[in-house]
Amino acid sequence: MADRIVIEAPLDETYGPVVRLIVSGIAERANFGFEAMDDLQLAIERLLAEAGSDGRVTMSFELVQGRIRTRIGPLPETGLADALQDTDVTPGRLSLRQILDTVVDSFGVDAAIDGAIVVRLEKLVAAAP
Amino acid sequence: MRHAGDDAKARARVEDRELLRLCREEGDSKAREQLVQRHLPLVRSLARRYAGRGEPLEDIEQVGAIGLLKAIDRFELERDVSLTTYATPNVVGEIKRHFRDKGWAIRVPRALQELHAKMSPTIERLTSKLGRSPSVGEIATALGATPEEVLEALEVGSAYTTLSLSASPQGAEGDSDPLDAIGEEDVGFERSEDRVSLAPALGILPPREREILRMRFEDGLPQTQIADRVGLSQMHVSRLIRKSLAVMRDELQ
Repeated sequence: MADRIVIEAPLDETYGPVVRLIVSGIAERANFGFEAMDDLQLAIERLLAEAGSDGRVTMSFELVQGRIRTRIGPLPETGLADALQDTDVTPGRLSLRQILDTVVDSFGVDAAIDGAIVVRLEKLVAAAP
Repeated sequence: MRHAGDDAKARARVEDRELLRLCREEGDSKAREQLVQRHLPLVRSLARRYAGRGEPLEDIEQVGAIGLLKAIDRFELERDVSLTTYATPNVVGEIKRHFRDKGWAIRVPRALQELHAKMSPTIERLTSKLGRSPSVGEIATALGATPEEVLEALEVGSAYTTLSLSASPQGAEGDSDPLDAIGEEDVGFERSEDRVSLAPALGILPPREREILRMRFEDGLPQTQIADRVGLSQMHVSRLIRKSLAVMRDELQ
């Protein structure tokens, strides 16, 4: 059975360091390398930045067979859902999708309810180069 | 009844607009410099409000000047406001951010700061030795610390240091920044004016940061390779990426 950690935090940037520290602690338990840990922190940080600064967000982390599966939500569906599906990779452009494509192994929308979505991120312990 | 002071203000506003036009439409760097000089008294005046809080006034003025530069570069000529009005919140915001970041760093215990100072060379050494990014446990063993202490020390480096983003030719760790010396506009991210998402804000980043983002997110290079190419540590590259994305996000809000 997978180990699961759930935290709920205010969407206030002053809690950013706290969230990063928790994520790094979980990544350490999964034996992530420094760079993979940093990647996961960055992915979560960018998603939280999209969520604004009001309200609260729940993050769950499952440690399953060499990977961490993260779920983050509720996040505002407007703009974010499109940004996650944006496939334009023209040179010179930097989109949220491009960032996530680089730093995690897979991601997607897990659930959408009443204008809010839950985003799933998966990061392998040792991603292929 | 109109006062002489009002006339002077109106004249200054017209002169500012002309200089801003020269900056924007003709890329006139002398006009930009003139604008900076004309508004430095505003920066000094705002900086004095924050004097006596443990930071030298000169440093606060320097930070404020970065806010002024950003305001000059962002000012839209269609706006019906004076540059002074537009620049004031930018300057104050930059100073406040500086104090916020600095304040966080000052509260970090000395032992943790010392551990942080050892972190970057240890990660470099282990990466080279292992041929991969070391785990936190491996870093902790090498430093004689616990994994939790290592994580806390890593977090120390995540605190933003506003000045290091663009104002200093030397990195926070004393790394040399060879890309600063190149001074050329990046060819990839410059073609971004018509983009959505983070793209429009790329222009506010210094060439080095844009180049790092390009290597990371366009070429898909890992931090270790980028660090080698630009002559910085992996930790420094990580911080620059994070800060650049945050700065771009702030710019769009």
